[in-house]
Amino acid sequence: MAIEEQEGVEEAARLVEMSWDPITRIIGNLGIYTKIDFANRRVVECHSTSSLFRGYSVFMRGKDPRDAGFITSRICGICGDNHTTCSVYAQNMAYGIKSPKLADWIINLGEAAEYMFDHTLFQDNLVFVDFCEAMVRDTNPGLLKRARNTEAPNAAIHGKRTIADIMEAFNPFEGDIYKEALKVSRTTREMFCLMEGRHVHPSTIYPGGVGTMPGPTVFTDYLSRLLGIVDFFKKAVALNDDVFDFFYEALPGYEEVGRRRVLLGCWGAFQDPEVVDYRYETMNEWGKAMYVTPGVVVDGKLITTNLVDINLGIRILLGSSYYDDWVKEEPFVTHDPLGNPIDIRHPWNQTTLPAPQRRDFNGNYSWVMSPRWLDQRTGEHLALDTGGGPFARLYTTALAGVVDTPYVKATGSAVRISLPKGESLPETTLEWRIPQWSNAIERNRARVYFTAYAAAMAVYFIEQALARVRGGDTKVFQDFDVPDEAIGCGFHEAVRGVLSHHLVIRDGKIANYHPYPPTPWNASPRDEFGTPGPYEDAVQDMPIFEENGPDDFKGVDIMRAVRSFDPCLPCGVHMYLGKGRTLKKLHSPMFGAGAGNV
Amino acid sequence: MAQIRVGKPDVAPDTPSHTKGVRMGNERHARFPRGHHKDGTADARRSTGVRPKKENPILSVMPNLPPG
Repeated sequence: MAIEEQEGVEEAARLVEMSWDPITRIIGNLGIYTKIDFANRRVVECHSTSSLFRGYSVFMRGKDPRDAGFITSRICGICGDNHTTCSVYAQNMAYGIKSPKLADWIINLGEAAEYMFDHTLFQDNLVFVDFCEAMVRDTNPGLLKRARNTEAPNAAIHGKRTIADIMEAFNPFEGDIYKEALKVSRTTREMFCLMEGRHVHPSTIYPGGVGTMPGPTVFTDYLSRLLGIVDFFKKAVALNDDVFDFFYEALPGYEEVGRRRVLLGCWGAFQDPEVVDYRYETMNEWGKAMYVTPGVVVDGKLITTNLVDINLGIRILLGSSYYDDWVKEEPFVTHDPLGNPIDIRHPWNQTTLPAPQRRDFNGNYSWVMSPRWLDQRTGEHLALDTGGGPFARLYTTALAGVVDTPYVKATGSAVRISLPKGESLPETTLEWRIPQWSNAIERNRARVYFTAYAAAMAVYFIEQALARVRGGDTKVFQDFDVPDEAIGCGFHEAVRGVLSHHLVIRDGKIANYHPYPPTPWNASPRDEFGTPGPYEDAVQDMPIFEENGPDDFKGVDIMRAVRSFDPCLPCGVHMYLGKGRTLKKLHSPMFGAGAGNV
Repeated sequence: MAQIRVGKPDVAPDTPSHTKGVRMGNERHARFPRGHHKDGTADARRSTGVRPKKENPILSVMPNLPPG
């Protein structure tokens, strides 16, 4: 990750330009360019940019549609299986088939393991680098002093006496939570591989079912691993609550970091095999039956849980992206199977026309387009964010109040999660309540609750799958033919948020294919209406709490805000002062703030 | 050429990659696989072609779960 600093650009306003580029490795190089007013300790302006073009939608054309799941899996090196699963959903719709029930339970189990794996790795090994003792010592020494004298309220559960003890346990490579999280990631990966064959590009997930052999042992192997790590999730929730509550208490106003309007999208996860038939005509019914309810939340209110409405409202806008407009191209889909008109800016009709050019923050500055959701009530194109994934998932599930299983129950304002007895801790019930804000802390807090959610749902899925196997059901695959002409769409949740795949088949080949993963939603630039994307919106006008001045500024608050959206894996930052003079101060959060000074 | 004794070549270089009449995996309308039943259950014929009936459960109340 690079912190660049260009001084003296706007002397009159005493603004300092600071940028982090690349900030992460996901979908090209994400860069955050800011203008900071150090006198008032506030971020004045923010632009989010990506400098790499991938072009999946371009080279998918003309390929065999059955290959789509295997190819799109390679979009991401950490949540590739979410793409395979989403592609399988879209293909099932296009081919007019339904996976056997046992296959759907197996996919659910694989995806639950993926959520547990990825959230643990990201939260404990990457997010906590920003909250660890080494980082806080460098950026907010006053806060660390206070943490040393603050008792941790949940010490009885996690065994850390003070908040500073927890922060020390977060230290990269040294802290015990950091190390334990790595071990848990290994176990969750094993669980994933039992169900989907290989991590992270699955080898046993296909349209029409799975290739996993549904013997009883595959499920008991999964369950024994899950029960071995379930205590880790109980402790993790307690640790996170302690640290995040401490930040609110010790730094009044910290709720403003990364805060934006509550505009959330969740496309739903975990199909209910008893309801889903993958037909577009019944998509609203089986969408609502999902074990993570899909929905759009505007200002804290649930606007819809209908997948058809969600699908019809998606618009891909340009405005600040390096693409030519495709409005004059021929549309692929004019009406959906229900007869609703499909807009030319919908992914089904999108034609990607790349137009490389120079980066200009007053014009075009990113390879990311601007996905928006059209609110039919107001005509507004909403820049929905995913809250890093779990925040939106828990929010919509809680508000919808539909999910009701023995282990997870949505109440209308909260989600109650019951985890079974583990090696050292008893059966525990956790409750995630809808918070007051959509900010960095709450996005991070939701992530750890969602690992518990996935673990609890996995117990339910195991019970359901084993019941079928004990009844002699071993059917996991159904045959199909590829039609000459068809359309399909898949809605799923990638680990870090909404994921949709839109597919058009002509002459038995892919005519158009558009995957829309969460980061284009979150990292989108200003659209044609001038609406900033969620990163830009969350960072703009954000207060700075770091005690360092411009000379040794690390930008930890901005990093916390951007990373709370889970922009995949953060990598190194380098920092230079403008006019070609390189500042000899490098830091890489991967190695801890203290250890990184070169 | 190394002095290696090799067998008499018995495949003509122009042997086609596909023999007519043999089913290809990529064909449409695949055959229903043996040992699988329409109701989603399976029997030992799925796992073996050698006296499969001997491998089935001894009581009808038991689920038939052939190993793979």
